[in-house]
Amino acid sequence: MEISQPVLFTIPLFSGIPVSRTVVVTWIIMAVIILLSLISTRNWKTVPKGIQNFVEMVIDGLNSFTKTALGSHWKTFTPYLGTIAIFLIIANIIGIFGIKPPTSDLSMTAAMAVMSIIVVIIASIKAKGVKGYVKSFFKPMPVIFPMKILELFIRPLSLAARLFGNIIAAFLIMEIISKMVPIILPAVCSLYFDLFDGLLQMIIFVFLTMLYIQEAVE
Amino acid sequence: MNLMAIGIGMVAFSCLGAGLGLGYATARAVEAVSRQPEAHGSIMQLLLLGGALCEATAIYGLLIAFLMIFFMK
Repeated sequence: MEISQPVLFTIPLFSGIPVSRTVVVTWIIMAVIILLSLISTRNWKTVPKGIQNFVEMVIDGLNSFTKTALGSHWKTFTPYLGTIAIFLIIANIIGIFGIKPPTSDLSMTAAMAVMSIIVVIIASIKAKGVKGYVKSFFKPMPVIFPMKILELFIRPLSLAARLFGNIIAAFLIMEIISKMVPIILPAVCSLYFDLFDGLLQMIIFVFLTMLYIQEAVE
Repeated sequence: MNLMAIGIGMVAFSCLGAGLGLGYATARAVEAVSRQPEAHGSIMQLLLLGGALCEATAIYGLLIAFLMIFFMK
């Protein structure tokens, strides 16, 4: 059981850049996503058939989901939400294949959370303009200003800590179970801890990001 | 080590609050659905969100326990 991520190799540039296992697994996931999207969007017809049916269904569901929440701004932010959803699904449930999930590294989830909060700030500036964004810090009353500044840091912190905590807890519990009871039980528990928990955390991450964007564009 | 074990055990008390909160939220959601079955979808969505926020507190406790185990030797 190791909570820290080992360094696999170093790139010999600028006195050596260490590359940890998280980064390598992330590269693999990125390659898989790019390949899947290239394969599944080839030879599209007007009348959907086979895999096109499935892809269109997923995209339609995502579009209608964000349309009800974000109103007229849905077209700008749906691609980002869909991308992190697909990435987090694969990253969270990759533990099934015996690879340590990259989201069990705090730097990974922190990067995702910072990305999300930057998107929220961009959404706010896009909807209100720079002046309106600065004014929104003083919105109901000026006393609230320190709280709003704090909120800028608390939101990504809670997003990152929640994702990291859930995935590392599931991973450690699975390790303990497979060490103590190596037959049958790991397979049953893996259904909950790897599949269901990973999917749920993905949904919560995307849902909370969407909620923050919705609050920002209002 | 003995004192640290007590500390790690006390961190487990964070589960108490999360459990109480989740139970209360679920009870209220059940009540709301039984009063208005047609609003089932949106109640479910809100319950999931509230559950996620509740559960985060327990996860923070777990995180502190892990950090104590792995980094405070």
